[in-house]
Amino acid sequence: MDAFIAQYIDAYYLRIMIFIGINIIMALGLNLITGVTGQLSMGHAGFMSLGAYTAAIISLHYDAPFFLAILAGAAMAASFGFIIGIPTLRLDGDDLAMVTIGFAEIIRVFFLNFEPGGKAVGLSGIPQYTDFATVWLIVIVVIILNAKLLYSRVGRSLFAIRENEIAAQSCGINTTRMKILAFTVGSFLGGLGGGLYAHYMYYINPQDFGFMKSIEILNMVVLGGMGSIPGTVLGAVILTLAPEMLRIVAEYRLLFYGGMLVILMIFRPNGLLGDVRIYDLKKRWGKKR
Amino acid sequence: MNFKRNKKVVLILCALMIFSLLAGCGGNAAPDKAAGDTIKLGFLGAKTGSVANYGIPGEKGMKMAIDELNAGKGILGKKVEGIYEDNKGESSEIANITTKYITKDKVVALVGDPCTGLTKVAADIAQENKVVIFSAGATGADVVEIGDYVFRNTLLDTVAAPAVVDWMINKKGWKNLAVITSGNNGYSTALTPIFKQAIAEKGGQIVLEDTVNDGETDFTAQVTKLKNAKPDALVFTGYYTEAALIMNEAKKKNLDIVLVGGDGLYGQDLAKLGGEAVQEKVIFYAGFSTDQPSPETAKFLEAYRAKYQEEPDMFSAQFYDAIMILAQAMETAKSTDPSVFKNELANLKDYPGVSGVTTFGADREPIKSPVCLLTVKGDKFPALLEKIPVQAK
Amino acid sequence: MFWEQLINGLTLGSSYALIALGYTMVYGIVQLINFAHGEIYMFGAFAGLFLVLSGVNVFIALLGAMVFCMLLGMLVERIAYRPLRGKSSRLSALISAIGVSIFLSTLMALYRGTNTTRYPEIIGNSTFSVGSIQISSLQVIILLVSALLMVGLQLLIQKTRIGKAMRACSQDLEASSLMGINVNRVISATFAIGSALAAAGGMMVGIYYNAVWPYMGTMAGLKAFAAAVLGGIGSVPGAMIGGLSLGVMEIMGVAYLSSSYKDAIAFAILILVLFIRPQGIMGQKISKKV
Repeated sequence: MDAFIAQYIDAYYLRIMIFIGINIIMALGLNLITGVTGQLSMGHAGFMSLGAYTAAIISLHYDAPFFLAILAGAAMAASFGFIIGIPTLRLDGDDLAMVTIGFAEIIRVFFLNFEPGGKAVGLSGIPQYTDFATVWLIVIVVIILNAKLLYSRVGRSLFAIRENEIAAQSCGINTTRMKILAFTVGSFLGGLGGGLYAHYMYYINPQDFGFMKSIEILNMVVLGGMGSIPGTVLGAVILTLAPEMLRIVAEYRLLFYGGMLVILMIFRPNGLLGDVRIYDLKKRWGKKR
Repeated sequence: MNFKRNKKVVLILCALMIFSLLAGCGGNAAPDKAAGDTIKLGFLGAKTGSVANYGIPGEKGMKMAIDELNAGKGILGKKVEGIYEDNKGESSEIANITTKYITKDKVVALVGDPCTGLTKVAADIAQENKVVIFSAGATGADVVEIGDYVFRNTLLDTVAAPAVVDWMINKKGWKNLAVITSGNNGYSTALTPIFKQAIAEKGGQIVLEDTVNDGETDFTAQVTKLKNAKPDALVFTGYYTEAALIMNEAKKKNLDIVLVGGDGLYGQDLAKLGGEAVQEKVIFYAGFSTDQPSPETAKFLEAYRAKYQEEPDMFSAQFYDAIMILAQAMETAKSTDPSVFKNELANLKDYPGVSGVTTFGADREPIKSPVCLLTVKGDKFPALLEKIPVQAK
Repeated sequence: MFWEQLINGLTLGSSYALIALGYTMVYGIVQLINFAHGEIYMFGAFAGLFLVLSGVNVFIALLGAMVFCMLLGMLVERIAYRPLRGKSSRLSALISAIGVSIFLSTLMALYRGTNTTRYPEIIGNSTFSVGSIQISSLQVIILLVSALLMVGLQLLIQKTRIGKAMRACSQDLEASSLMGINVNRVISATFAIGSALAAAGGMMVGIYYNAVWPYMGTMAGLKAFAAAVLGGIGSVPGAMIGGLSLGVMEIMGVAYLSSSYKDAIAFAILILVLFIRPQGIMGQKISKKV
């Protein structure tokens, strides 16, 4: 499949498109936690690294099939997501943000001292199983499942928690279960993205999954539009392409990036496509025609 | 809320973004036409970030070598073109840049990276795409094992560290040693076991093992521990910035100690940051010294000083040599095809480079002698302390 | 060794405390995690460096850096936060703060390069012994200046008019504005004071460790935020206690546990504290109003 695509697309662009796919998967996971349910998580890179390391170690040491490896990585991240979901019962907003930052930092330090993970040297020689077709197939499946989830009763309950937790509770929503569910599914997707990333890069290193990586994923969600699937996809596309396109102005690109975030928040506090859902789009553009 | 106004803003923002994307594409697509007439070489190294002290001089050495080639006949009568991107010392960035060099710029060889970990990332990609990668700085383990397109021209840690430990224990009588590692630095965590093994073999004692992190400035707790452990000398396996800060703290705590380390300490900032505290107190090894130069080195020194008005360092010399060795291999093979000239490269014997005489062994590992022990002395950085000859394996 | 490590911890902790104060004051009034605060601290350190290099007396340089950062803090608030206030969610303001943080650190990196810069030794250092322990005079100076600033802050908050207004605003922003308090001015003042303290922290860190670099604010900011949460975010004495105890915990972790887990230890303790006492050490429990 990839050989076929490679005849028409330059390998460099193919690579960027694979990264876009991986970022979409991870950003959709965070969107579920932060965008939809409103639980500010600033440690998504922690889930990503859990998925990446678990999948890579399984591939390297046990010679497991690719799908098993990335699923194991995602499951590992999901189980940690479940554990992190529990404090959300007691903490809100900024304390939760601190706990997630702390969690991601602890994971990073753990991998820096983790012998089977190569410590600070990182893991190298991971087989490159991830290819264009696999990534985008997973992206499509994730988008469809995600959309189904958001339009279901569960999805509406999650939105309700974001808007007003107490009101949601008094409407009979089991907020505890819902919040833990959002965390578990969200971190599963983070871990899935991490596993794909590891199997594309040949090499992973604990420093790749630092605080700035978490912020990068959070920016995708917020820039595109909190709680919106098309928005999150758009955010992931823009923020993956931007650094590549801005390579000419290399040194100034972070300056531009920071400034853009501020300006965007002032004019579009809910992101480019804040709360736009696929069916809203259909309704809006359909009427005009 | 004024919905209409908001919509306009979105449209303008979208338009801006699309415009910037298009602008980016336009800029990127421009070259590529004259692919047949020039030989392209890709530079791997950091020009910004925490390892920029290795990349910047490396780039200068590489540029100088390419200018010299072009002033002559080029390679096989073709012009040589270097492409210089900044990988910032990040592994995802170097992976992106390596792919760009190979698939978009169509380079025949990659030169760099000065860091072992980053070289490995690039080497996997280069090997996969059958492009030669020639590292001018990777000293750690498991680099050329990646494949037959991977080469390096450096003094290996596994050769140099035991020689230095032998010098410390048997010549200086420093038997009780403290070892500090930089925990989030791959170079350092890989070098520490080599030092520890050498210390055990030569009969030294490790009285304290400790960790710092790159990017931190507070080393008070570690230095206090060090002071209480009273070692004869300190082995620090990390980079120059942290070494300078540790020595600053030691001076503040009235601790008089010598710090010994690898060529990760080879950066101008060691002297600038350390000031008084590192004067003749920091010793590190490297495969290159501007003192007692060979005729080739002397010529290089003169040309470099004339061109850049500054002293070259190990990385400028190694990048310079890397280009010249690649050029020679292509000339003898009469081909710019990596799969052809890589065989010539593997047969390199007694190449009189500016960073010493190089031979590639049967395992394609470089054999280089001697080990230069360098230190900071007065305004001169680095100053040669001693040359230790080593036997080839 | 214990007492020496304790002093090391208090020195490190006092720099955390000075930064944490800014976080907690801003949070107490507008409920915003000002992520750009670490960068203000970094700018403070560099502003001090320029003044010192141009030959100004250390204490005047300290004042200069504080004034510079006051203005910078107010400017940031005016440009990046005020337009958002009341109109949008707190999350948008947080992202805006992250944007400012990236912008400021890149600006400094472009201007000065990303290398670590040496801070000149402006205050001569000497060590003296108290019993069996050795203390460096720099540590004493840093502890004294921090203590002085913190006492000054307490007086400002408790005794002056603007302090009274700040306390009122932190209780209820809307009610305060109804009582005739110029809320915008109070918020501006809060940013100014917090930034000035961060600048002082930055410059003292520069003097003590002899090194500054453009990205020094990120980790310091994160740790200081952790300190503020630990002490109970929104509480001024809490930030002081949180900062000092975080510094001591970190140093003791390196001294007696494992230095390779340094950052993890600090964050693990923080998470534990939040589990047991979500409002932090000094924070008050606020039940949510429906």
